[in-house]
Amino acid sequence: MEAEADAGRLPVETMRPRFTMIQNAFAGRPMRAAVGLTAFFAIWQAVTQLNLVDGFLLPSPVAIAEALWQLALDGSLWVHLGASLQRVAVGFLFACVVGLALGLICGWWRTVSDYVRPVIEALRPIPPLAWIPITILWFGLGDAASYFLVFLGAVFPVFIATYTAIRGLDRNQMNAALCLGAKPWQLFTDVLIPASLPIILPGLRIALGVGWMCVVTAELIAAQTGLGYLIQQSRMLFQINNVVAGMVTIGLIGFAMSAILERIERRVNAWAPSERS
Amino acid sequence: MNAQFAPATFAAAEPAAPQASTAEVQIDIRNVGKVYDSKATHQAVVALDGVSLRIKKGEFISLLGPSGCGKSTLLSIIAGFQSASSGQILQNGRPISKPDASRTVVFQDYALFGWMTVQQNVEFGLKAKGLPKAERADIARSLIKTVHLAGFEDKYPHQMSGGMKQRAAIARALAPDPDILLMDEPFGALDAQTRVLLQEEIARISTEAGKTVIFVTHGIDEAVFLADRVVVMSPRPGRVRDEVLVPLPRPRTAEMRSDPWFVSTVKDLWETLKPEWQKGD
Repeated sequence: MEAEADAGRLPVETMRPRFTMIQNAFAGRPMRAAVGLTAFFAIWQAVTQLNLVDGFLLPSPVAIAEALWQLALDGSLWVHLGASLQRVAVGFLFACVVGLALGLICGWWRTVSDYVRPVIEALRPIPPLAWIPITILWFGLGDAASYFLVFLGAVFPVFIATYTAIRGLDRNQMNAALCLGAKPWQLFTDVLIPASLPIILPGLRIALGVGWMCVVTAELIAAQTGLGYLIQQSRMLFQINNVVAGMVTIGLIGFAMSAILERIERRVNAWAPSERS
Repeated sequence: MNAQFAPATFAAAEPAAPQASTAEVQIDIRNVGKVYDSKATHQAVVALDGVSLRIKKGEFISLLGPSGCGKSTLLSIIAGFQSASSGQILQNGRPISKPDASRTVVFQDYALFGWMTVQQNVEFGLKAKGLPKAERADIARSLIKTVHLAGFEDKYPHQMSGGMKQRAAIARALAPDPDILLMDEPFGALDAQTRVLLQEEIARISTEAGKTVIFVTHGIDEAVFLADRVVVMSPRPGRVRDEVLVPLPRPRTAEMRSDPWFVSTVKDLWETLKPEWQKGD
């Protein structure tokens, strides 16, 4: 269906029937994503292979793949990746609990929001990087510091999405539920939550992305494991291939997390106008 | 008009009340006023002023008036979504303070739950009542049939036309078996043909189900076609201005639209309301 819709948007293609088969194969979004990524790495490879850029300053994708393979074989990649993932998971979970709760409360009770939102809006512009010194002071070097920084990065997007969603609830829908006799719990689970998911879920996806950036930032400075630490340590050992290998891993994992969440969003919010393009 | 009455006499004559016995009065609107404080202008806006009305069980009432006459505000107070600034509304002798499944509402914008299928929407009020699953499904299916949506049980609201959505919303409102059906310009967003069809449909359903209906509209022919009694309201401040008893028999059918009484009443109402309507715009 998606392919049909896309084909409809490109009337030019219909004039060249012999491309139809190729076009159909490339019409799916995942396929296009694969093509885009492959092209990116191919150009990168060409640039380094033709010595347009010094191989020490920018290792080629093949060299990075080799480095990744080595890291995977000796197991260090998995240790670092596991550590980072575990940190982002814990921090993100805390951010979700706090952000959702605060967003719900502030969205529902205007007076509470009048008190709380100025505080949140004043804390929000402080970048997680600026929190690092005081984080180390409070939590030392270790997992707790990383959890806290991920939390800081992720909590604001979660809060804002939840607050906006609750604020934007359709008054008539709430009234409809009330006059049909809905008890508070049914109102919450059957109306309030599903009605706000189209706004909350994209917020969670953005928050996870920010959290993933924060965990790497935290590990660059305040940890002894993790992808950020791998990059930092490799830099000191002049293993530039490993530095970029770490960066590539971060990028691909972040991409995968976002893609998975987007998939879930599409399924959950299939009814919502925003998902029907 | 034919049945004008001063609300004050009813309030005063309450203990005796010879002609309308309190037993059959289901909704008793007593001197209700609603004032909004406008924060921007620091001026109080009077939306309703001294509205009194007695509605009998099984009666079909049309609240007719131009925009700004407070008819929707009155409906929302009857529903329990808002509270009156003064006066009170009694349902079977008890004051209304919050929404209740004995008074369900059909909204102009349908207010269907977009994440639920038609079936789930209709079952919502039954679930709230705590009915077991199988029973819920049965009742919902038969109501969906009543509003001629059989076959669309598993469709989502966004997959249906406006008329179908409003049919689904009517089925949903009927599901908890309310005493009173409150309809807030339910056909206002529909095209003319669909509106006429749904008017006939609601005339049939309300007669069959024997519900008390309060129907808010600014369509004169719609108000007269459907109601036993048309309550005409005037704007700024919202007041009951007039009442028209409709002698047409029930159920109402399409031919009645060409009944001489119907035609002349609609015309008379339009003549009297015209100046206000023009002022409103």
